[in-house]
Amino acid sequence: MASQIIQLIINGVAMGFIYALVSMEYTIIYNSTGLLNFSHDKFITLGAYIFAGTFVLGIGVNPIVGVLATIITMFLFGVIVAVGIFNPLRNMPSRLFAIMGTIALGRIISEAIRLIYGATAKTVPGFITGVYRIGSIVISKATLVIIGVSILVVVILQIYMMKTKAGKAMRCVNQNKTAATLMGINVSRSIMITIAISAVICTIIGVLVVPLYSINVSMSNTIGLKGYAAGIIGGFGYLPGAIIGGLLIGVIENLSTVVIAPVYKDCVSYIIMIIVILIQPRGLRALIRRKK
Amino acid sequence: MKENKKYLKIFLYTLLAIVLLILPEIISNSYYQLLINQTLINAIVVMGLNYITGMTGQMNMGTGGIYALGAYGMALLTTKTGLSPWLGLLLAIVLGLLIGRGLGYPSLRISGIYLALTTIAFAEVVRLLLTNWSDFTGGAIGVQGIPKFSIFGYTLDTDQKYYYMLLVLTAILAITAKRIISSKWGRVFQSIKDNPDAAEACGVNIAQIKILAFTLAAVYGCIGGALYSCLMGYISSNTFNQDLSINYLIMMMLGGIGSVAGNILGAGLVTILPEMLKVLENYYWLIFSIIMLIFAIFMPYGLVSVPGKIMRYYKSKKKRW
Repeated sequence: MASQIIQLIINGVAMGFIYALVSMEYTIIYNSTGLLNFSHDKFITLGAYIFAGTFVLGIGVNPIVGVLATIITMFLFGVIVAVGIFNPLRNMPSRLFAIMGTIALGRIISEAIRLIYGATAKTVPGFITGVYRIGSIVISKATLVIIGVSILVVVILQIYMMKTKAGKAMRCVNQNKTAATLMGINVSRSIMITIAISAVICTIIGVLVVPLYSINVSMSNTIGLKGYAAGIIGGFGYLPGAIIGGLLIGVIENLSTVVIAPVYKDCVSYIIMIIVILIQPRGLRALIRRKK
Repeated sequence: MKENKKYLKIFLYTLLAIVLLILPEIISNSYYQLLINQTLINAIVVMGLNYITGMTGQMNMGTGGIYALGAYGMALLTTKTGLSPWLGLLLAIVLGLLIGRGLGYPSLRISGIYLALTTIAFAEVVRLLLTNWSDFTGGAIGVQGIPKFSIFGYTLDTDQKYYYMLLVLTAILAITAKRIISSKWGRVFQSIKDNPDAAEACGVNIAQIKILAFTLAAVYGCIGGALYSCLMGYISSNTFNQDLSINYLIMMMLGGIGSVAGNILGAGLVTILPEMLKVLENYYWLIFSIIMLIFAIFMPYGLVSVPGKIMRYYKSKKKRW
């Protein structure tokens, strides 16, 4: 029993890091533009498809080269989307149309994927497979890769936002756009970079989940929604909260399978999210602020 | 001049009514009849969505879940207990009220994006429960043999007979929607969308009004779902996915936000056009989504705003001359 619970916790932490990355990826866009990117799960799917469909299975390059090439492609994609869609939407009089715009963008991406790569699911054979055994606990290699890469991404993003000039500009834009403009920061360019970074994080998520799911158009729907739940539990728009929220959801939903049937595992995180909204809409952020 | 306009309006309405009444006689194809019935049901749902998303400006992305609960409420009540579908319709209304209160209360007290997220989560939970709780809901196999409506012993067994009932219900709900939109409620809804702070300063209880709008939306959505399950006679849980919720948003966006005529137009366009434009096949949804994106950026008030825009353009030109 104990080893089973440890097993569940390890898998939960791995999934939790995925959710944490998802909630980080849309939180940085939300902070800098005030828009919630409802097409973010399609970005993840697109990343996975470009990696698997175009580079690894299509051209047949080494997976590591494929990852780098996908990241560069998605960075450019992020720039195009930012200039072509997010900038006009950001200046719309009503938030409503902006949300509609991102939903339409998501639909366009998923339809385009269906047309380009076909409706059949894909898998990448031999990409991060294998398991390690410690006593009776089985840890798959993919779990370790997910945890390692996620920690790396979190640390790099943190260093970028705290130490570099562009990152400081990004945080400045988050807080006050008018003041940022007065200080000589190019707000549009800063937002463009933010969205491109978000697209890159989406790509990393997409590649990381390739060993877990088969690649199809709806592969990231659940991850995308749970990312929202993670964001709400951590306090919406609060980056450290998003990471903790993601980990919490991952572990709790895996542990819940001890008590309830595994098919209802997915419901747990949504119900937690609704309860958090009901009791404390600011989530974990409220706790942390109170301590200070 | 004004008299003429009035007569023209009456003439157009009469013409529309006659066309709608003899429509089943014109089209003999039973598949098209089914599509038209589906259009009327979609129009009801979109009119509901219009209250919360179109008028009040709060994003509801869980229409699929609301619709599913209405449909399953009707299906399970009539097949398990053998009660009349009219009671199923009543149950749908009650379910709508419960959803509106239950989901609206947590997510609409606070401003922001919370309603969109709660409704998505709600729709997903509903779908998962319907799929996995197979002892009660039939799981992925669904529910079969949902009975048809009957009025005083006269059963509406064909789609053509059902069409008239749907037409009457849609007309009643459309007139109600129109009256609500032009009443005090409608103006309060709009004031919340335009400027919540000013509305609050005028003594509007924002949270309560938003919950009211959402409840109306949920009631319309559940009625639509109940009517749908009677139309099809068979429902299964994979119909009610996230795509369905987005389709309703597309209908509202294309037709025109905040206008009942626009809602009905949008429902018609999105339901019937795919069958007319079979040529486009796979590219159909891609093109529709691109159109929606362009609409969101350049023409946010949908197709019904086009004549007004053209009129204004001509008027401004005349003035310049």
